[in-house]
Amino acid sequence: MKHILIIDDAATVRMYHRSILESAGYTVDEAVNGMEALEKALTASYDLYLIDVNMPKLDGYAFVSRLRSQEELAQSPAVMISTEAEASDQTKAFEAGANAYLVKPTRPEKLLAYVRVLLGETLQ
Amino acid sequence: MTPTDISLDDFQKFQEYFYRKTGMRFEESKRYFVDKRLLERMKATDSACFRSYFTMLRFETAGTEMQHLINLMTVNETYFFREEYQFEALVNSIMPEIVARKKHDGPIRIWILPSSSGEEAYSVAMCLLERWPGIKDWDVEIISSDIDTNILTLAERGQYSPRSVQHVPEAYMRKYFRKCEQGFQIADSLRHAVDFTRVNLQDAGDVRPYRNFDVIFCRNLLIYFDDQSRKQAAETFFDALRPGGFILLGHSESMSRMSALFKIRKFPEAIVYQRPGGGWE
Amino acid sequence: MALVKNPHPPSRHDTGRSELRDYNGLINELIAADPTVRRWAARDLGVYAEAADDLLALIKVETDRSVREVALSSLTCIGTETAVAGLVGCLRSEAADLRNEAIEAMKSLPQAVAPIMRALLHDPDPDVRILAINILESLRHPEVESWLLAVIDTEPVLNVCGTAVDLLTEVGTAAAREPLRRLQERFADEPYIQFATQLALKRLESA
Repeated sequence: MKHILIIDDAATVRMYHRSILESAGYTVDEAVNGMEALEKALTASYDLYLIDVNMPKLDGYAFVSRLRSQEELAQSPAVMISTEAEASDQTKAFEAGANAYLVKPTRPEKLLAYVRVLLGETLQ
Repeated sequence: MTPTDISLDDFQKFQEYFYRKTGMRFEESKRYFVDKRLLERMKATDSACFRSYFTMLRFETAGTEMQHLINLMTVNETYFFREEYQFEALVNSIMPEIVARKKHDGPIRIWILPSSSGEEAYSVAMCLLERWPGIKDWDVEIISSDIDTNILTLAERGQYSPRSVQHVPEAYMRKYFRKCEQGFQIADSLRHAVDFTRVNLQDAGDVRPYRNFDVIFCRNLLIYFDDQSRKQAAETFFDALRPGGFILLGHSESMSRMSALFKIRKFPEAIVYQRPGGGWE
Repeated sequence: MALVKNPHPPSRHDTGRSELRDYNGLINELIAADPTVRRWAARDLGVYAEAADDLLALIKVETDRSVREVALSSLTCIGTETAVAGLVGCLRSEAADLRNEAIEAMKSLPQAVAPIMRALLHDPDPDVRILAINILESLRHPEVESWLLAVIDTEPVLNVCGTAVDLLTEVGTAAAREPLRRLQERFADEPYIQFATQLALKRLESA
């Protein structure tokens, strides 16, 4: 069973993404910011990271940068989720080491499609 | 009328808030534990209902209610070898790393706060003497600080109840303690090995001279601070450490609620935070 | 080798400096090459209200996180109108870290930010409106709920509404129920809004 880390400071968003992902058969952990996410990633192995950009202490871009520079952490696909839709934000995400970029609010079908592709699962 | 129970919705509301602020998460299996303590605090604060208590909790500027609540939600007894896995991390993982890069330019320096009545500092001292082979080759300086001068006096005196020493290994009891009227007196060799100093962590003048530490233990203190004070304490510790120095927090505390300045290191025994730099990047 | 005691343990009277750091000296050190020097200067300037502008100028260009964090702590200590106005400016930054650090600082200054919240909640930039709602989380003000209800009744941008609903889940009262239901109808095709409003309504059942 694939294990996903949801990183977002908003409880409602975490619950929303959790409900979508658990319904699709994934197991989920949560973190409220990039620092907590790094701590969790050090103690568990995640197959995918779902990351909000705007968070206190350590934002999404900074989390992905640190993730990619710490080899002992699972270098799994990272999906950035943001309210911003500018091309420059997407470039920033990819430069930091993200694999995909989604604009909030996410729709279940699109989120799951991205997740399945990044996890190498065949689309239904 | 005093409320006698907490609804599931109120529990979840509280759970999310407490997790966001402190990093502590109570699963629904812990409802009895949490509800009981919430009701206790609601009674103590004459809150007519959960809503009014929660509003007060969220906005009370002094943060004292949050402190009361945290006190209730965490186990706070101080005793020797409390959270021993962190002392294991010190001798098995941290000290070896420090000496691997250290020149012989002075002792390895450890700062422990709050000192409380000295259990933590003396526990570190015993661990280093008994469990760290490197103590033969390196000098170690231990400073332990507290804001309360009365408790510092107790720490210097080094007398403890049977309860406080219940986790001390038998061999250490024989070597480092003798019976006294209060219970047990710690050996002079240990009492003279630790410097107890008065420090208010939130006073810039007090903390400024505390620099060049290799390790800081600050366990179960910052959890009682408000958000801004915790952030500033983390920044103070950043500059109190040498580049590459380590800081350990209490088991229910996390840098994720304080500051992003530190690197997170996972040792077999514990998660520890490290100031970047010092050639260890 | 053993446990040793320093013959001169740290003391507040022994800082190795012969004089108090003066204001102008500190300001000059904000542009020192060494980040440690900058950081200590930023820290020591926290007691000088007049340093707000210089600290704000620093955080906009500072690349060392440790310096920026300390400078923001100092700005929070200063907490003047100038400091707050500068922090508001940071909300518009392209840099995610600066935006989020500014929110944190403003959350620690509830009294200073209260007078400007209404304007922020009506800022032309929807992202600023979202960040303003984030700041509301720690604001004790009798109008917080009514501001949030006004948002969910009139705000055109979905994500701003979503952020307001998330906060209402925690601070909402019975007064929020009808506006939440209206929001549900307004964004009937948006799964996130449906989820968020359902959750908020459920939490408010016992309100």
